[in-house]
Amino acid sequence: MNGDSPATAGRSSAFIVSARKRKLQKITRMAGESTLFLIAAVVAIIVLFIFYFVARDAVPFFQIRGFSEFFTKTDWYPADDPPRFGALAIIYGSLMVTAGSALIAVPMGVSAAICLSDVIPFSVRQYVKPIIEMLAAIPSVAFGFFALVILAPLLQNFGGPILMWTWWLIASPFLLLAVIVVSELLSTSIQDDSRRRVVQRILVAVFGLLSLLFLFFVGKHLQEIQILTGTNALNVSIILSFMALPTIVSVSEDALQAVGRDLREGSYALGATRAETIVKIILPAASSGILAAVILGIMRSLGETMVVWMASGNSSHVPEPWYNYLESVRTLTATIAGDMGEADQVTGSARFHVLFAMGLLLLVISFISNFISERIVVRQRKVLSGQ
Amino acid sequence: MNLGTRKLLDRSFTALGVGSIVIMGMMLLVVLMPILSNGITANVFRGTIEHRKLLYNEFRRGDHAELQRQIAESDAARRKAYAMMAAFEAEMKLMSEEKHAGYQEKYDQVKSAMKALLGPVPGEELPELTRFKYGQTRWSKAEERLHELLYEKQWDYSNPDVEAKEYDVSRAASFQGTSLVKLFPYVESNIDRMLLPEWTVYWGFITDSSIDSHMFGGIWPEIQGTIFLAVGAMLFAFPLGVIAAVYFTEYAREGFFNSLLRSANSTLAGVPSIVFGLFGLAFFINTLKVSESKSVLAGSLTLAIMILPTIIRSAEEAILSVPKTYREASLSLGSSKWNTIVTVILPAALPGILTGGVISLGRAAGETAPIIFTAAVSVGSAIGLADVFSSPTPALSWNIYNLASEHEAASEIRHVQYGMVLALVTIVLMLNLSAIILRARISKKLKG
Repeated sequence: MNGDSPATAGRSSAFIVSARKRKLQKITRMAGESTLFLIAAVVAIIVLFIFYFVARDAVPFFQIRGFSEFFTKTDWYPADDPPRFGALAIIYGSLMVTAGSALIAVPMGVSAAICLSDVIPFSVRQYVKPIIEMLAAIPSVAFGFFALVILAPLLQNFGGPILMWTWWLIASPFLLLAVIVVSELLSTSIQDDSRRRVVQRILVAVFGLLSLLFLFFVGKHLQEIQILTGTNALNVSIILSFMALPTIVSVSEDALQAVGRDLREGSYALGATRAETIVKIILPAASSGILAAVILGIMRSLGETMVVWMASGNSSHVPEPWYNYLESVRTLTATIAGDMGEADQVTGSARFHVLFAMGLLLLVISFISNFISERIVVRQRKVLSGQ
Repeated sequence: MNLGTRKLLDRSFTALGVGSIVIMGMMLLVVLMPILSNGITANVFRGTIEHRKLLYNEFRRGDHAELQRQIAESDAARRKAYAMMAAFEAEMKLMSEEKHAGYQEKYDQVKSAMKALLGPVPGEELPELTRFKYGQTRWSKAEERLHELLYEKQWDYSNPDVEAKEYDVSRAASFQGTSLVKLFPYVESNIDRMLLPEWTVYWGFITDSSIDSHMFGGIWPEIQGTIFLAVGAMLFAFPLGVIAAVYFTEYAREGFFNSLLRSANSTLAGVPSIVFGLFGLAFFINTLKVSESKSVLAGSLTLAIMILPTIIRSAEEAILSVPKTYREASLSLGSSKWNTIVTVILPAALPGILTGGVISLGRAAGETAPIIFTAAVSVGSAIGLADVFSSPTPALSWNIYNLASEHEAASEIRHVQYGMVLALVTIVLMLNLSAIILRARISKKLKG
């Protein structure tokens, strides 16, 4: 309409569309749309390129050395003559810190997500969300610096007491709760009210004493532990869990929100408490979404580089015994980051290509878990919407 | 179960969730507080005369006349100490051979401790490295060095069952009966006059280049490198991401291709950051040869790929949250689809798109792994804007790692490391905070 010139003022031609003009419009629209499509397709092209270029540099390693050594041997001496490329200990280290971080992050993350979606009122939630976002925003190298400079010396110097206090703080409320619930359950069969109360109190006293002894002995045992090096799998697992938490919380909160009000209200109407509603109704309904959240969180720990490089100790061996989190480990990501500097000068050797083989392994794992979590989310959405 | 127990379980369930959130908040504090409190000491600290000498010699900063007066004052105090040392050296020459040899080693330790505290002895040849040309520039470090001068560290191995314990032995005791014994109380009581500490605010920590691989000076090259890399990544990723988001929200039809593209997007979001680094090395540097070796350009491209999925997702969300009525009003006025998108929808979605952009900018600034092989060097000066296509740059994230883990005097320069971490965390959290505030405004506006 801006194009209206005085010459055509009498009878506007803006609304008269000739066949030629329409054709032209169609062509420009098609061209525009395909340009947009091409730009959007860049993402897919990038993904293909990543797979191709990482694989292209990884394949020569397997051609030279074969598969079996990489996946089954634990001796990693790439600089020796002859070099040895047994990466099993490194893969195990990656899995170990990932499992450790999941052990901390999953219960905390899921309960925080439940709290955010079902317990906390909306006005408070507005102030809690930024905390989680800031936790997600802190650069990994800052976490790594914290782990190396602050947490590692603390663990090394006060490892035993720290372990003991953590044990007391975490285990005592759970044990207390368990004692009360168990003595309640054991005494339900008694019909007489006053007798039941007496039996219940005796049971609480007995179980309470037993669990106090248990707490005390385990705590004493933990206190005697001397941590030889602060840069170990435990340190890394703690830090990684806090890096994975934001992902787990936000994705599982979405899954819990997706369950909808009617299921919750139905459960409340039947007289269930909030905890019962959540544990028996909401969590099963949202379980697949929560699983997806857990997978994404685990991937964050597995792919994290800086924290493990700085604070895991970088010694490539399987800890003795295998579940000993107080020993140094080495992970795939840290090996890639750390060894490239030396391997770079001899581009072309097995030592260079083995790092790409590790990268390919990470890439494949992340692709598969992404695929699975995406499928899960899609299926949950279908189930919840289609009933 | 009776009602009381059920209520108890319900309460403890709530407590569990609240507890998890509280622990997360506390973790945030536990990580940020030491970074903040120690990071500030890189800028604000008790600087000694050596700090002011260094500033004047390296950057020509400070009041020359006042500095000369202070140097004269501190030299007057130091001269006595040096005179005591000279007297002891003369005394040693007169000693018997074995007595001399016994004292020589201990005296050398004293001498090097004095050098570490006050800098080279006047009259001696100036050493090559800047770190040996000056005494302690920071009072807190000077106090540590003073302790090393006064006491000798020894290890107690008497009990083989426990770890060896450290204990201090006074150096003065081992020089009992010689003229040097006076030196220790003299230095201890006159250290203030020798070093003249005063509270210093050193803003140059942010704006200066480093001297002698971060032993002194500031972190400007790293800050600048971080800005270059992050802004460069945004230049590539932001337009691409917004256009892709427009396609996904406005043009894409449900179908095989569309779901494939979406899967590609989420796959890209899940790729470990170190793999981006490998890809950047293999593709941008070894295959495309955008530069001879590492460069800011290669690093920016790698970071751009990493932040692309985030930008696309947030832009999509922003576009979808524009009320339908806007679009319908524009279309009913006869404007074309493309026209509607450019003149109505994108402006309305702009704050939301910017929010995502700002968060991605922070992520690009903080990420380390992708730039290790593509852009980062550990030492170097600030590069000019023209060099971004060919030369690598130091960057905050990489240099934090480098100084903390690989620097030969890592424990000596903790304040520099904390200062760098604080600078990086401040940049990233400021960006995120502005995004949070921006988003709060948008949601208020959309509510009406």
